[in-house]
Amino acid sequence: MSPVNAEAVLAATVREAGDRIRAALAMRFRDLDMAEEAFGFASLRAMETWTRDGAPRDPAAWLYAVGRRRAFDLGRRAKVRAEAQHDVPEPTPDPETIAMAAFEPIPDERLRLIFVCCHPALAPEARIALTLRTLCGLSVERIARAWLTSEVAMQQRLTRAKGKIRDARIRFEIPEPDAWPERLDAVLATLEIAYGQAYEDAAGATEAADLAAETLRLSGLLANLLPDEPEVLGLAALIRLAESRRPARLDAAGAMVPLSEQDVGLWDNRLIGEAAGLMRRAAGIGRSGPYQLMAAIHAAHAARRETGFVAWGDIATLYDYLLSVRPSPVAQVNRAVALAEALGAEAGLDALAAIQGPARLAEWLPYQAARAGLCAKAGRAQEAADALRRALALDPAPAERLFLVRRLGELSA
Amino acid sequence: MQYLLIIYSDEAFSEPAAMQEITAAHMRLGAELQETGAMVGGNRLKPSNTATTVKTSAGVQSLHDGPYAETREQLAGYYLVEAADLDAAIAWGRKIPGGPNYAVEVRPVWPVPQMG
Repeated sequence: MSPVNAEAVLAATVREAGDRIRAALAMRFRDLDMAEEAFGFASLRAMETWTRDGAPRDPAAWLYAVGRRRAFDLGRRAKVRAEAQHDVPEPTPDPETIAMAAFEPIPDERLRLIFVCCHPALAPEARIALTLRTLCGLSVERIARAWLTSEVAMQQRLTRAKGKIRDARIRFEIPEPDAWPERLDAVLATLEIAYGQAYEDAAGATEAADLAAETLRLSGLLANLLPDEPEVLGLAALIRLAESRRPARLDAAGAMVPLSEQDVGLWDNRLIGEAAGLMRRAAGIGRSGPYQLMAAIHAAHAARRETGFVAWGDIATLYDYLLSVRPSPVAQVNRAVALAEALGAEAGLDALAAIQGPARLAEWLPYQAARAGLCAKAGRAQEAADALRRALALDPAPAERLFLVRRLGELSA
Repeated sequence: MQYLLIIYSDEAFSEPAAMQEITAAHMRLGAELQETGAMVGGNRLKPSNTATTVKTSAGVQSLHDGPYAETREQLAGYYLVEAADLDAAIAWGRKIPGGPNYAVEVRPVWPVPQMG
């Protein structure tokens, strides 16, 4: 087999089964560092061996068997080092024969690993980095780029998190029923933050599409593993709906296109369909929650594809529900915008004025951007221009900056 | 593994009826820790105005009247428990009673190497 072919088989195997193999290794040895190293070793070995001998019948099982063997050796060496304090000779693993003899089904430990990585005793930013690294296998460099930090700083954050899991001894089990709600919330919040990062980043470029794809995949995986948790289904639907609009979010000039002005023909119908299915299943369970409500708001916007209009009154009502279970300044701003569309600009401006939000609301970009839109709608061009200038001073992302500049031009024209 | 559950509480809080109830709750928790075999030790500390801090700066020692950190919540006591993992230790930490504002820090104890 040529190196190119071996690499292609390896890449496909990692894509298909990488998260499963990594999770199984991590759970078997209760050590995230060791699992990472063992998986890396198995991948290297695969390139050499498959190039020489051809790919095995079951490449995923091969990788798991070689990784498992490597982790055993690493564990034995660490134990010997700790106890005897002298060097032992390098082991000479013979992965080919071991792989032949020791195929065993790869257990699905992904859910357990997600709960470990998203443990609430870890800081939220550490949780998401750990999940993307450990479960998805994203490179430290890629994760650092998404969070606008250096590779060294991200590596330190990951090391600290793995160290805490090991040293404070975080449990490698599915949480007990009494801890379940808190633990599940931590998992959902982690995915939400990860997707938020991917979504925001993508406003300027298509740079974060891979990150978005990973969170999309993770949320789908979680929905498969926990099909009876309506909020899990709600979050999976929410991410699908938001992601369905990626192709429509920027115009040809690279400027942001507001949701209600996007070309519905560019939306991804497959993702919208998946979301609808997830939401139906969630509704059938009959326990509402913030993620289902947010998904419902996005679904109401998505309905414009069929109806040709936006049901702003319904959207404002959904924001009322959302604010009652999960108050946030963002939801308040969006509710004001929906009210302005449903009842008139003045109603929206009143709602905007009533926001008890961040202490310095005037220096908050979403507030100024919304205020500019509503003032323009109310015919208060001077105030709209003022709000736009303030918004532009608050360092918007490139795509939003283009959009705001254009609006400012339209006002003074 | 052993975990130290460190209690930081608001010393200004001293409502008598509530304090009595909190003390009783500590007794019950102590009994539960004993029964389950999780108790290694624990103590309540006198208020932080009784504390003296021995500080070393650049190798020079000096004494300070007061606790190490002047914060609203002060170190008030601790439990040392044996627990299987952090989650089990946190579960004990949640059971520690207190007034309206307090915090419990859960810290694994560095294990002493076993000899022989």
